[in-house]
Formats: sequence, structure tokens, C-alpha cells
Amino acid sequence: MASASAPAERRQSSHWRLWALVPLLLLAGVVALFASTGTSLLDLVGRAPPPLDHFNVRRVEFKPGEIRIRVTNPQRPNLTIASVTVDDAIVPYRLDGPAALGRLRSSTIIVPFQWVEDDPYTVGVTSSSGIQTTFDIPAAVETRGPSPRGFLGYTIIGFLVGVVPVALGLGWLPSLRRADARWVAAFMALTAGLLTFLAFDAFAEALGLQAKLPGGFQGTGLILLGIAASYLGLTFVSQRFSARSQRERSAPLEGAALATLVAIGIGLHNLGEGLAIGSSIALGELALGTFLIIGFMVHNITEGLGIAAPIAGGATVSRARLAALALVAGAPAIVGGWIGGFLTSDLLGVLFFSLAVGAALQVVVEVGRYVARRAPGGLRSGHVVAGYLAGIIVMYVTGLLVA
Amino acid sequence: MTRKQLLVAAAPVAAAVPLAKLGLVGAATAASPPDHAGMAMDPIGHAAMIGDEVPAPGGPNDLAALLYPPEPLPHQPGRVREYTLVAEDRQIEVAKGVFFSAWTYNGTSPGPVIRATEGDLLRVKLANVSSHPHTIHFHGIHPSNMDGVFEIVEPGGSYTYEFQARPYGMQLYHCHSTPLKKHIAKGLYGAFIIDPPKPRKPAQELVMVLNGFDTDGDGENNFYAVNGPAFYYAKYPIQVRRSQTVRIYLANLTEFDPINSFHLHGDFFRYYPTGSSDHFEYTDTVMLCQGQRGIIEIDFANTGRFMFHAHQSEFTELGWMGFFDVID
Repeated sequence: MASASAPAERRQSSHWRLWALVPLLLLAGVVALFASTGTSLLDLVGRAPPPLDHFNVRRVEFKPGEIRIRVTNPQRPNLTIASVTVDDAIVPYRLDGPAALGRLRSSTIIVPFQWVEDDPYTVGVTSSSGIQTTFDIPAAVETRGPSPRGFLGYTIIGFLVGVVPVALGLGWLPSLRRADARWVAAFMALTAGLLTFLAFDAFAEALGLQAKLPGGFQGTGLILLGIAASYLGLTFVSQRFSARSQRERSAPLEGAALATLVAIGIGLHNLGEGLAIGSSIALGELALGTFLIIGFMVHNITEGLGIAAPIAGGATVSRARLAALALVAGAPAIVGGWIGGFLTSDLLGVLFFSLAVGAALQVVVEVGRYVARRAPGGLRSGHVVAGYLAGIIVMYVTGLLVA
Repeated sequence: MTRKQLLVAAAPVAAAVPLAKLGLVGAATAASPPDHAGMAMDPIGHAAMIGDEVPAPGGPNDLAALLYPPEPLPHQPGRVREYTLVAEDRQIEVAKGVFFSAWTYNGTSPGPVIRATEGDLLRVKLANVSSHPHTIHFHGIHPSNMDGVFEIVEPGGSYTYEFQARPYGMQLYHCHSTPLKKHIAKGLYGAFIIDPPKPRKPAQELVMVLNGFDTDGDGENNFYAVNGPAFYYAKYPIQVRRSQTVRIYLANLTEFDPINSFHLHGDFFRYYPTGSSDHFEYTDTVMLCQGQRGIIEIDFANTGRFMFHAHQSEFTELGWMGFFDVID
């Protein structure tokens, strides 16, 4: 922008930052003036309604002999925890945090309670104004805290649903190398199709999770921020890759560089997926059976194929590089599992899933650019169209195993 | 640590564990301060619902005027008894830290205890300084223009109800403005005792008005109580002597729930329905529908701490419970 300025204006450029402060100073003045007199405005147009005084119940954990309820104040006025009930009975409790919560502040209510495994419970938190917020737990299951065993458990789960299928999927590489260019293009399109599916899936997850957040967190804005940040971040990274390998900024990525980008996109999705699996297990919402693990493995093996396809069209890649790609794409499921299992933050979930959306979309664009330029017949060839649709169909059908 | 591990191991079959823990902890925490942040042990169940741990508002003698009725006066037909009730809007603390925008007679819910002897001429002045029209509707025998249904007292206005107190027994009063449910649920009611011409035998007299508070306006009570604040008599047990009869003037003014009840632990009592005859039932549990009332007479057989509460467990655990400390 500055380069477009006329030389005469450029002389004053050292002062532009100072001048930029003028509107802010004026705003501060107006705000101060309004704050001192503006409340009478309310009398002209009516009366402000009383606050809802509802708590946002973030998480209910069952520990041996106690129930822990994490609550947040979602509204502007302070909200005070005054009384706590379990199944419509007032119970003694103690607080890990303040009783009077400022906006978006949280406290954990610790209720000594001999709960019964698998029984449903309703916890209630009453504010000082007498408004009760209730939260239903369909079945009480013990929430495990961080422990070496749990750590190992989430690691194994993440490894099985993330790293293993991606690594297995990379096993298609020798086959792809022998395939002719049209088929490689078809598999590249399949990669784009499955990434599009992942982007949609992550977007839906992000939207669902943000609905549970207090309004003050502006979940939809957070999603946009996550998508924009990861999309533009990956665009920047791919520019760097392409500049380094081809000395030409606008050339499409290919080979290992493109595969790395695909792996990053898939990895971000698996971070969110690991988080979702981890928190579901921790909160007793997910029956973790053999079938589910197998389902995720079948579902995710196509992700390995997606990484293999770009490599097939380029130079040979070392085994170590392949292993690294499998880790980049799969290992975030382990990290996500840890975070979800031990922290369960809907806020982080929204952020991770929206990062996955942007990343997946960016990789789709990058793969599209590659296919458009390199594939016989370009984007409109039958192999490419069919491959893209096949990618979506494969994800949908294998998704039935984990839904 | 070992005990915690034991609890973990026993969690699925822990039926006996909480009982054992309850017994252990009850004594240990009875004297500890009500410190939310630093409770050393976790009392569970009723063991936690006594002494300083009880989440009840107010100080030790806050409810004295509602619990202990005025002295009865000897039979003297035509004597004038005057009371003034001021209807006012007031924020009251109905449970520890929970404030309710109540409509009150004289600032409390229930309102003051009105007492007369049969044959007295009652003059009850209602001054309305609240923001809504109110009345006082007395139970008993009186002229139609003293019934508190048509004599609506607008905000800023006043009205004096005048009638002869009869028949003897445990009566009650409440606002009869519409919407009726709202005016009662908001707290406009109280006990009205009419003594018989022949005095009852001396006793330790108490008044208990059973009530509830719907603090979030959903048509269901969030808290239940006797004479106002939830768990009050669990925090401050009522001290009585074994040597003399305990007489309780009991009335149910709970809104929304069709019935309420009174149950005494460790003893039996005579229950005189409405208190207007010598007929009684010997029992330890009585059930009262909305507006029903009676007189209970207990001759405690033992000293010690005895619980009393609604036998609807839900009401008990939402505040309607207390203790008698019976001494010699």
C-alpha cells in the first residue's frame, strides 16, 4: 500500500501512526461522555429486561464419592452460585473458584455424593436471584483424571485410529506408481473429494460445538477465524514450498511438497477428531468398542491414500519421509485424544475443527490446481470427476461405521 | 489416601459405605466453620444438614416472632384486639444466598401470628404500601363484608377488618386478590390462633407455617420451609423441655403442591384437626392439603435430638426439615 503513495505524501509517512490515533482518541471521548450521561437514554425507550441468570454448565464429572460441576457465567451482569441440587435435593458443596462469577468466568462446584454407576442424574445450580439451571446426565460413569494409564490408553486409541490407517493407506504407493497418469489423476481427485468431505464434516462439528458455548464467546466468529487462519496459513506455507522447489511462486505444488500439505490438512482434522473421541470417552458418552475402532481405521485408511496419490506422480520419497508424513497426518489424533480426554474444552474443539476446515479447503484448492495442470484432460476429465465423487462416497460409506 | 482407594474399589457396591462414612463424619465436622473453600472432609446427607454446615440464612433468633406465638389471654367477651398488617414488597432470603422478591405482611413470609380468644372483637388494619392490590381473607366465622374477597385494598390504601373471633382453633389468613395463586405463592399468608373460652392447659407453644418458594417462577417450588427460610431449624434446632407438653399450631400454606405433611422422629403426638374440638388422632405423621391446619401436642418420652420434616422426601431435601433438641 505504502509503495503506491505519492512522494509528497511519503514525507509525512513517519507521522501516519500518530494521525491514526485521532479517531481512537475521539471515540474514547465520546464513550466517556456517553457513559456519564447515556443511561438516561434507557428511560426514553423503555426498561432493560432483568438478566436471565442462567448458568452455562460446561462439564459434569463423576469421581469416586463426588460430582464436579463446571459452570460459566454467560451473561454480562455478575452471576452468583447460591444453591446446588442433585436430583432435586439441596446438597452441601464447596467451590474451586469464586461464588460470584464475572462475565465468562467459571467455577467448579464440588459435591460430595455417593452416586450410582449408570444411573441418570439431574444437577441444578441456583443463582442468588433464585433462578435454577438444570443439567441432565443420562448415565453416570466415572470420569478418569490424567493418569499414566489413561495417557497410554488415549495414545493407543489415537495411534490406532490416526497413525495406523494413514500408514496402511500409504501402502497403496507402489500400486499407484505403476498406474497410468489418468488413474493417478483420478486418485488425486479422490483425495480432493475426501478432503472436501472432511472439511464439511469438521464444519458441521464446529457449528455443533459452538452452539454449546456461551454467546459471549461468539462461536461463529471463532469458526471464521479458525478457517481463515488455517487457510491463509497453509496458503503461505504452500507458497514457500513452491518457491523453494521451483523458484516460481505461482506454480502448483506437486510430489512430496503437496503430500506434506495434504498430510497437514488431514492432521488438523484428526486433531479435532481425536479431541471429539477423547472427550466423548471421558464423559461417558461414547461406547468405545472394538467395532468403533475398526470403523475409524477403515474410515481413515483413505486418508493414507490421499497422501500417497500426490507422491505417486513425483520423485521417489524415502521411507523416513513417508513415516514422517504418516505421523504428521495421524499423530494429531493422539494429541487430540489427550486434550479431549483430560481437559474437554468445547472452545478448543470449535477452534480445532474450524482450523481443520480451512486446512482441508486449502489443500483441496492446491490439489485442484495440480490436477488442472497435470492431469490428462484437466479438471473435466471423466477420471477426475468420478474420482472426486468416489472420494466423497467412500468417506460417506465408511463414515456409517463410526456414526 | 487408603480410605479413598477403598471407596474407589467399593463404589459399585457402596450401599453400606455412605452410612458408615456419614456416622464417622457427622461428629467430626459438627464444629468446623462453614468454609466452602477449605472443608477438610466431605460430610454427606443429613450429617451435613446440622449445625454450621447447614445452608440456612439468618441468625439464631430471627424467626422467634413467628415461632413463639403471643401469650393467650383469658376469655373476656367483647374485648378489642387490634393488629396492623402492612403489605409491602420485600426481597427476602429464602435459602442461603438466594433472594426472592416476596410480597409480605409486615416484611416476613409468613406474616405475623394473629392471636385472639373466642369472643374477642378483632380489628385488623391492612395498610397497603406495596405496588399491588391486596386483601386479608381470614378463615373462621365472620360477616360477608369482612371476608377479604371484595374489599380490595389498592396500593396506598388501607382497610380495617372487624369481626368477632370464632370458632376457637387453629385458623389462618391469606391474601385473596387475583391471581390468587400468585398472591399466595408470593408470601401473603400467616397463622391465626383463636383460643377456646376454657384455656388450653399450659404448654410450650410453637407456630409452624409450612410454605414453599417458587424462586424461578416456573410454577414449582424451588425451596420448602417452616416459617420462611429453608433448613432454618436444621441450623438452629428448637429447644424444648421433656417435662412439659409441646403444642404446635400447624398450618399448610404451601402453594402449587396439593399436600404437605409433618412427621416427627422418635415419638408420637396427639393431632387435633383444625384444633376446634377435643377429637384427636395419635400418630407420628399428618398430611395437610393446601389451607388445612391443626394442633399437635407432643409429650416427649426421651431427651436428645429428634428430627421433624415433611414426609415427602423431596420437600425434606429442598429445605423443609428441622430438629428438636429435647432437654430435661
